[in-house]
Amino acid sequence: MNKALHRYLPILALLALIPLWELICYLANVPNYILPRPSVIYDAFINVDKMRWLEHLWATVRVAVLGFLLSIFISLPLAVLMVQSSFLNRTLFPLLVIIQSTPVVAIAPLLIVILGAGEAPRLAITCLITFFPIVVSTTTGMLSTPSELIDLSRSLKGSVFRQIWQIRFPFAIPHIFSGLKVGITLAIIGAVISEFVAAEKGLGYFVQFSTSYFKIPQAFAALLFLSIISLLLFQTIRWIQAIFFAWSLPAEEQK
Amino acid sequence: MPKRSSLPSLLFSMAALFTASLSLAADKVNFQLDWLPGGDKSPIYVGIDQGFFAEVDIEVRINQGRGSTEAITRIATGTSDIGIADIVALLQARAADNVPVKAVYSLLSQAPHAFVVKKEAGIQSVADVKGKKVATSPFTSSNIFLPLLLEKNGLKESDITLVKTDPGALGPMLITDATDVVISWLTSVDRYRSQAKQAGTELDVIPWYDAGLEFYATSVIASERFLKERPDVAKRFLSAFHKSVEFAFANPDMAAKAVNKKVPEADIPTAITTINSMRTLVYNSVSEKDGIGTITPERLQLTWQATAKAQNLNVTDFDPESVVDRRFYMEQ
Repeated sequence: MNKALHRYLPILALLALIPLWELICYLANVPNYILPRPSVIYDAFINVDKMRWLEHLWATVRVAVLGFLLSIFISLPLAVLMVQSSFLNRTLFPLLVIIQSTPVVAIAPLLIVILGAGEAPRLAITCLITFFPIVVSTTTGMLSTPSELIDLSRSLKGSVFRQIWQIRFPFAIPHIFSGLKVGITLAIIGAVISEFVAAEKGLGYFVQFSTSYFKIPQAFAALLFLSIISLLLFQTIRWIQAIFFAWSLPAEEQK
Repeated sequence: MPKRSSLPSLLFSMAALFTASLSLAADKVNFQLDWLPGGDKSPIYVGIDQGFFAEVDIEVRINQGRGSTEAITRIATGTSDIGIADIVALLQARAADNVPVKAVYSLLSQAPHAFVVKKEAGIQSVADVKGKKVATSPFTSSNIFLPLLLEKNGLKESDITLVKTDPGALGPMLITDATDVVISWLTSVDRYRSQAKQAGTELDVIPWYDAGLEFYATSVIASERFLKERPDVAKRFLSAFHKSVEFAFANPDMAAKAVNKKVPEADIPTAITTINSMRTLVYNSVSEKDGIGTITPERLQLTWQATAKAQNLNVTDFDPESVVDRRFYMEQ
């Protein structure tokens, strides 16, 4: 019993919030245009056709996941390059920090002008927001490899490829996964930002549409949807780690 | 050698087929909105729905937008051919950067800016806002014209307390008396009204065009390239667009349904209210005198003077006539 309770504690904590929220709004008589009650949000949710929800949901998940995959595709090789070459490390890193610290919202309109009005700017925005934690954590992970192992592989004339693939990567796996976990939650934020700037579908677009018509409960319904997707995607990364890289988890999580 | 002799005839028939299919295909036009779809954008939707564009052999694709500046940029860069944007934003863009975009048709001959107040506050004119708290959203184009409006009504900026806040907070602030006045577009006033109704209070509206701010606003704009390369398409498009505008205001319910059909997020009752609330911006003494769509040099000059004054630009540095091309729309 205790074990089952422990397992479902996060969900129970979230569910307990709902009646509390309803009660506070009811007692304090909070108007719907300031903070809608869960029951009103539920009504707004039901009022939107299921297919519409699915369309918006699919558009956002698609941008978030594709943008995230794109950023992994860019980040991992970049991290390898930066670990292998101190020249690249010193030249690329400041550039990456500049890219990361530039507010994407500010350059989003430029991206649309450059990349056109299709899906490309949305993927670029998502990728720009997610890639940094993945590069940093992968680089840190690969650099944390004990130097004796690297020396050993060199003395045995192991190829650079084997050194990276068989020594550095396994050491970096826990770091890479923590980067991926941060990255996937940012991917949803990135997708939503990109939909604020240029989209005709998606939950971010739907939130913007709803708020610009003062349909606050409807916007909240979409926001809750976004949180659920974030949780699910985050959990997916944890599952992937638990299934394929169980050894990389801390001892207490392996049980 | 049958093969050889058949080749030219084959080519010929293919060419004939190709030109035939070319003449059958409708001209494709990318239309740019200046914001999300809604009742105020209904003419283009109802025009497509009623087949007005198909009648003149034009196939329209609508691109949604996020503000006039973005719409102008997208038309300038060729993502869209023609669209709608505030002519004030176009005047600024051309004065600053000479973007290759021209205004071809005036949709709103009065600017939509207004003050919204609670009925019980007793504010009946612009002069009455003296000493009051005024709330506005940070990015609305109304802000540019506020100092000019105050000046025309004998007030200074220091006579009011201006608060800039998120657009979603404006209605609640007005209702909870956190502000006395809210700056809004006439097309959004009904949304504040419904919030006020929930709170059991009523609102009054003071349009700025009644207080000395007389100029054009939302207009149809097109890229110079589109106008140069496809002048005939531009003419046909504008005649169908004009027909769509008249149809939309004569049949708000059908216009609202047409928007909803393409964009289900835009609900029909809200769209109908928006169409009705912007009617006076399209049908007014100006359009009665000059005709809807017409951009007169005199009123354009007024628009530029207001823009230049509000933006601290030199009025004589730029000729507003360079922003307009009148060859494509003739009043019908």
